Amino acid sequence: MELLYQYAWLIPVLPLAGAMLLGVGLISYNKTTNALRQPSAVLIVSLIGAAMVFSFALLWSQLQGHPSYHHYIDWASAGDFHLSMGYTIDHLTALMLVVVTTVAFLVMIYTDGYMAHDPSYVRFYAYLSLFSSSMLGLVVSPNLVQVYVFWELVGMCSYLLIGFWYDRKGAADACQKAFVTNRVGDFGLLLGILALYWATGSFEFEVMGDRLQQLVESGALSAGLAAFFAILVFLGPVAKSAQFPLHVWLPDAMEGPTPISALIHAATMVAAGVFLIARMYPVFEGIPVAMDVIAWTGAATAFLGATIAITQNDIKKGLAFSTMSQLGYMVMAMGVGAYGAGLFHLMTHAYFKAMLFLGSGSVIHGMESVVGHDPVLAQDMRLMGGLRKYMPYTAFTFLIGTLAISGVPPFAGFWSKDEILGSTFAANPILWAIGFLTAGITAFYMFRMYFSTFEGEFRGNDAAIKQQLKNEQLQALGLAFGPGAMNPAELTAESPNEAHNDHDEHHSEVPHESPATMVFPLVALALPSVLVGLVGTPFGNYFEAFIHPPSELVEELPMFGIPEHFEWGEFLTMAGSSVGIGLIGISLAVLMYVTKKIDPGAIARSIQPLYRLSLNKWYIDDIYNTVFVGGVRGLAKQVLEVDVRIVDGLVNLAGFVTLVTGEGLKYLENGKVQFYALIVFGAVLGLVLVSGIT
Amino acid sequence: MNLDTFPWLTTVILLPIVAALAIPFIPDKDGKTIRWYALVVGLVDFAILVYAFYTGYDMSNPDLQLVESYSWVSSLDLRWSVGADGLSMPLILLTGFITTLAILASWPVTLKPRLFFFLILAMYGGQIAVFAVQDLLLFFLVWELELIPVYLLLSIWGGKKRLYAATKFILYTAGGSLFILVAALAMAFYGDQVTFDMQTLMAKDYPIKFQLLAYTGFLIAYAVKLPIFPLHTWLPDAHGEATAPVHMLLAGILLKMGGYALIRMNVEMLSDAHVYFAPILVILGVVNIIYAALTSFAQRNLKRKIAYSSISHMGFVLIGIASFTNLGLSGAMLQMVSHGLIGASLFFLVGATYDRTHTLVLDEMGGVGRKMPKIFAMFTACSMASLALPGMSGFIAELMVFVGFATSDAYDTTFKVIVVVLAAVGVILTPIYLLSMLREIFYGPENKELVEHEVLVDAEPREVFIIASLLIPIIGIGFYPKLMTQLYDAKTTQLTAQLEAAYFAVEGRPLTPTAPLESLNFGMLDAPEVGDRS
Repeated sequence: MELLYQYAWLIPVLPLAGAMLLGVGLISYNKTTNALRQPSAVLIVSLIGAAMVFSFALLWSQLQGHPSYHHYIDWASAGDFHLSMGYTIDHLTALMLVVVTTVAFLVMIYTDGYMAHDPSYVRFYAYLSLFSSSMLGLVVSPNLVQVYVFWELVGMCSYLLIGFWYDRKGAADACQKAFVTNRVGDFGLLLGILALYWATGSFEFEVMGDRLQQLVESGALSAGLAAFFAILVFLGPVAKSAQFPLHVWLPDAMEGPTPISALIHAATMVAAGVFLIARMYPVFEGIPVAMDVIAWTGAATAFLGATIAITQNDIKKGLAFSTMSQLGYMVMAMGVGAYGAGLFHLMTHAYFKAMLFLGSGSVIHGMESVVGHDPVLAQDMRLMGGLRKYMPYTAFTFLIGTLAISGVPPFAGFWSKDEILGSTFAANPILWAIGFLTAGITAFYMFRMYFSTFEGEFRGNDAAIKQQLKNEQLQALGLAFGPGAMNPAELTAESPNEAHNDHDEHHSEVPHESPATMVFPLVALALPSVLVGLVGTPFGNYFEAFIHPPSELVEELPMFGIPEHFEWGEFLTMAGSSVGIGLIGISLAVLMYVTKKIDPGAIARSIQPLYRLSLNKWYIDDIYNTVFVGGVRGLAKQVLEVDVRIVDGLVNLAGFVTLVTGEGLKYLENGKVQFYALIVFGAVLGLVLVSGIT
Repeated sequence: MNLDTFPWLTTVILLPIVAALAIPFIPDKDGKTIRWYALVVGLVDFAILVYAFYTGYDMSNPDLQLVESYSWVSSLDLRWSVGADGLSMPLILLTGFITTLAILASWPVTLKPRLFFFLILAMYGGQIAVFAVQDLLLFFLVWELELIPVYLLLSIWGGKKRLYAATKFILYTAGGSLFILVAALAMAFYGDQVTFDMQTLMAKDYPIKFQLLAYTGFLIAYAVKLPIFPLHTWLPDAHGEATAPVHMLLAGILLKMGGYALIRMNVEMLSDAHVYFAPILVILGVVNIIYAALTSFAQRNLKRKIAYSSISHMGFVLIGIASFTNLGLSGAMLQMVSHGLIGASLFFLVGATYDRTHTLVLDEMGGVGRKMPKIFAMFTACSMASLALPGMSGFIAELMVFVGFATSDAYDTTFKVIVVVLAAVGVILTPIYLLSMLREIFYGPENKELVEHEVLVDAEPREVFIIASLLIPIIGIGFYPKLMTQLYDAKTTQLTAQLEAAYFAVEGRPLTPTAPLESLNFGMLDAPEVGDRS
C-alpha cells in the first residue's frame, strides 16, 4: 500500500509527460506528429487511463481507512523562508482524483469521434492532456501556494482550449475574456494568500485556519479583517466557478470545442472553486461573515444562471448557464455549512453535466452534417427538433441527464440537490426559497431544452429560420462592436467563407447518430448519473461519512439499514416539495413545447421587459463592456498621451534648449581638457565640503 | 598552467574583444564565414565561463570569488580587478547565454556583417566586464565603453527613426553616467585613503548626508538604465528601432545593468542611505508597474508595446530591492534573470514576426496564426512566461517579491497594503495587454491584405532552437526555482543582514515583526518537514 502512495505523484505527471511529448513533436516534427493521429490519441488516453486506475486504487485504500498521506519537497527558499511543494492524499483528494480522471478519460475517448475531421486533432489531445495534468496537480496540492500555481495553469489550459479554433472571432474574444476575468479573481486570491500568510505565517490550510481562529479570539486580529482576508481568497472561486459577478466568461467559453466544454467548463475546472472552498474550509468556517457572503453569492448565482438559461436558444449556452446555476448551488451549500452536500453535488453534477455536454456535442455533430460547420446554425435549438428519431442513444442519455439535473428521484441529482436544499432550509429559509424556486426553473428550462431538441418535427432544413439566425448574428456583431467601431471588412471577410461552408458540407438532409467512440462515453456516463446518488441517500449517507470537514467527527454508519435517528417525516416533506416544484417545471415545459397548449412567444411578449432582461443576460456583459473594458482602454490611452506628450515632451524640449544654448556656449568653451576636469573636480570638492561641514 | 590561479574572468572578458579585432582580417567571400566565426567565439567563451563557474565558484560562499587584481595605472590607483559573487555570477552567466543566442539570432544580418559581428563581440566582453569589475573607476569606464557599440548598433542597423533613437539613448545614458563619475570620485576621495576598490569603499564610514547625495547620484544614473519612471522615455524609442539581436541584448542584459548596479552600489555600499530611499524606490516601482502596463496596452506598435512591458516588469525589481527581506531581494535578483530570458525571447519573436509581416503596427496584422503556427505557439508560450504564469520563472520571481514585501517589517501595514494592492493590479493589466496583443497578431480571420502581400513562412529550425534554448531555463526555474536562487542565496542573506543592521543604525530600532502572529508566540514560522508524512 505504501508503494501506491509513494508513487502517487505519477498521477499528474503521466498526462504531463504525454502532453510534453506531443508538444515537442508538434513543434519539431509537425508533419509527422500530425500524421500519427491514432497513436497519439491512444497514448494520451492510456496515460489518463493509467492515472484513473491509480486513482481508483487510492480511493479504495482511503475507503479502507488508510490515514492521509503527505509528501513535501523544499521548492523555493531564501534564508529562513521555505516554500514546500508536494502532494497530499486524503479523502477529498482521492474523491476528486477519481472524478477528474474518469470524466477526463471518457471525454478523451469521445474526442476521437468529435474531432475526427479536425486538422489539429493531435494538438487538441496535447492540450487535453496538459489540462488533465494541471487539474490533477490542483487536487493533490497540500498548500495554498501550490493550489494557486495549478489554479493558474488550469486557467491557461482553459484559455488555450477556448481559443482552440483561433481563426474564429468569437473564440478569440472568448479566450481572452476568460483569462482576464479569471485574473481578476486571482488578483483577490493572491492578495488573500499574502494577507493570510502575513497574519498566520503559513500556507497550509489547517494551520492557517487554526491560527486565524486563535488570532481573532485573542484580539490580535480584528474579526472584520479576518473576514476581509477570507473574502479576498473567495474571489478566486468566484471567478473560477463562474459566480456572480465574475461569471461572464463561462457562457462565452462555449466557443471552445464541446469536449472541453464538458471536461473543463462543466465537470472539473469550474468545480475547482468549490474544491478550493472545501480546502479552505478550516479558514472559512470560523468566520460567519465570510460564510454568509459565500452562501449569498451562491444563491444569487444559482438564480441568475437559471433565469438566463430559460431564454437561451444556443444549446451549449443554455447548458453553460445551467452549469453556472448548479455551481451556485454548490457554493451556497458550502456557505451554509453543508460541506458534504456541496461536494456530493459536485460529484453528481460532474457526471451528469459532462454527459449532457457530450450529448449536446453529439447533437451538434449530427446537425453539422445538415447545416454545415457553422456554430450559429449547428448549435441553435430552433433548427433542431425530433432528433430522437435519428439519434436514439444521444436522446436517451440526454433524457437521463435532464432527469438527473431536474432532481427527479432516484437519479443522482435528486439526492445531492435535496440534501443541499435540506441543509439550507435549516440554516436560512430565505436562501432555501431561492434555491427552491431555482430548482423549479431548472426543471423547466432543462425540459424545454430536451423537448425542443429531441421531440417534435425536425426543423434543420427550414431556410427561413436559417436566414433569421444569420441576420440575428450580424445584428449581434454590430452591437458588440458598438456604432462606428465596427470594421466592415471583417464581416465581409467572414461571410464568403461561411457561405462556402454552407454549400460544401451539405452531406445529407437528416442528422445521423454519432460514431461509437462518442456514444460509448455517453452510455458510460449515464451509469453514474443514475446510480452515484445512492451513496449519499439520507438514510445511508456513506458519502458524508467519507467526506466531511476536517473539524467534524461523523459517526460510523451501519453498513446496511437505516440509522435510528433518521426522520422520515422531515425527509419526505423536503424531498416532496422539491420534487413537486420540479414536476411543475416539467409540466410547464410539456404544455409549452410538446402539447403546445401554451404559446411561449405570447408569454414572452406579455412580459417583454423581463424577457429582454433574461435574453440579454441581465445586461451584465454590456455594463462591463462599457465600464471596465472601455474604462481601461480610455485610461490607457490617456496615460500614453501623457507619456508621449508630457514626459517625453519635456525631454525633447530639454534637448531643444540644450541645442540652442549649446550654440551660445560655443563661444564660452575653450575646448581644453583641463577646464572640464576643473569643473568636475570642483563639483566633487563641493560635494565633499557640503558633507564634511554637516 | 595552474587552474586555480588562471585568470578566468579576465579571459572571458578579453577573449571576445580580442577575437573581434581579428574580424577585419578574416576572408569572407559569401558573407557567411564571419557569422560562424562569431558564433564559435561566443560558444567558446560561454563554455569557458561555465567551466569557471563549475570549478571556481562556490555557491555557499557569499564573498567575492574568481578574484583577480592587477595594478593598471598605479598613479591613479586604478586596478584591473574583477571578481564574482552572488550578485554578479547569475548575471554574468545570463550575459554569456543571451549574447551567444543573439549571435545566432543575427544570422539574417546582411548589411555590413563585419562591423555588426565586431560590435556584438565587443559588447559580449564589455557586458561581462560591467558585472565583474570590482573597481569603481573601472566600472565607470566599462559602463561608458559599453554605450559605444550599442549606439552604433542602433544607429546603423535600426529602423526608420534610428538616428533619433540612438542619439536619445546616448544622451540619456551618458548624461546619467556623469552622476556615476561624480559620485564615484566623491566616494574615492572621501577620508584619508584615496581608492576606487569597491570593497574598501564599502568599508568606509560615510556621514549620512554624504551617503544621501551619493545615493541620489547613483540612483539617477541607474534609473535611466533600469529604467525608472520618469527617466524611461529613451527606451521605447531605442527598443522600437533596434533590430532583433540588438533588442535581445538591450532587454536581456542592458536593463539588468541598472538593477545590478543599484544593488551593488546603492544597496550594498550605501546601506544607510538606502533606508531613507527605500520607500521612494517602492513607490517608483509601483508607478513603473502600473504606468508602463497601461501605456503598453494603449501602444499600437508591437516593439514599443513589449518595450513598455519591460519597464513594467522592472518595477518588481525595485520593490524587491526595497523590501528589506531576503525573500524580496532574492525575488528581485530572480526577476532580473527571469526577465532577461523572457524579454530576450519576446523581442526575438517580435523580430521574427516582423521579418515576415514587415509591419509592426498591430492594426495591419491579424490572423497570421494559420500560416505560422510554430511562431504562434512560441509567442504564446513566451507571453505566458511574461504574464507570470506559474511553472515559469516570472511567476516565482514576482511571488517572492510579493511575499517578501508583504512580510517586510520595515513599512507600516497601511503602506504595505496600498503597495501590494496596486502592484497586484499589474497582475490583471499584464494579461490584458499581452493577450490582446496575441489576439491582434494571430487570432481571428486572416488579414487579406497582409496574406496577399507578404510571404508568411513558419519558423525555421534555427528560430525554434533559439526559443527552445530560452524556454528551457525559463521553465526549469519555474519548476524548481532553487536552480537559480541557490546561486546567490548566500549573498542575499548576507546583504539582508547588512541592511537590517543599517536599518537599526538609522532608525534606532531593529526591524520588529509587525505581523499579528507574533503576539501569539507560535515560535518560528515553521515550514512543513520535507519528506513523507502519513
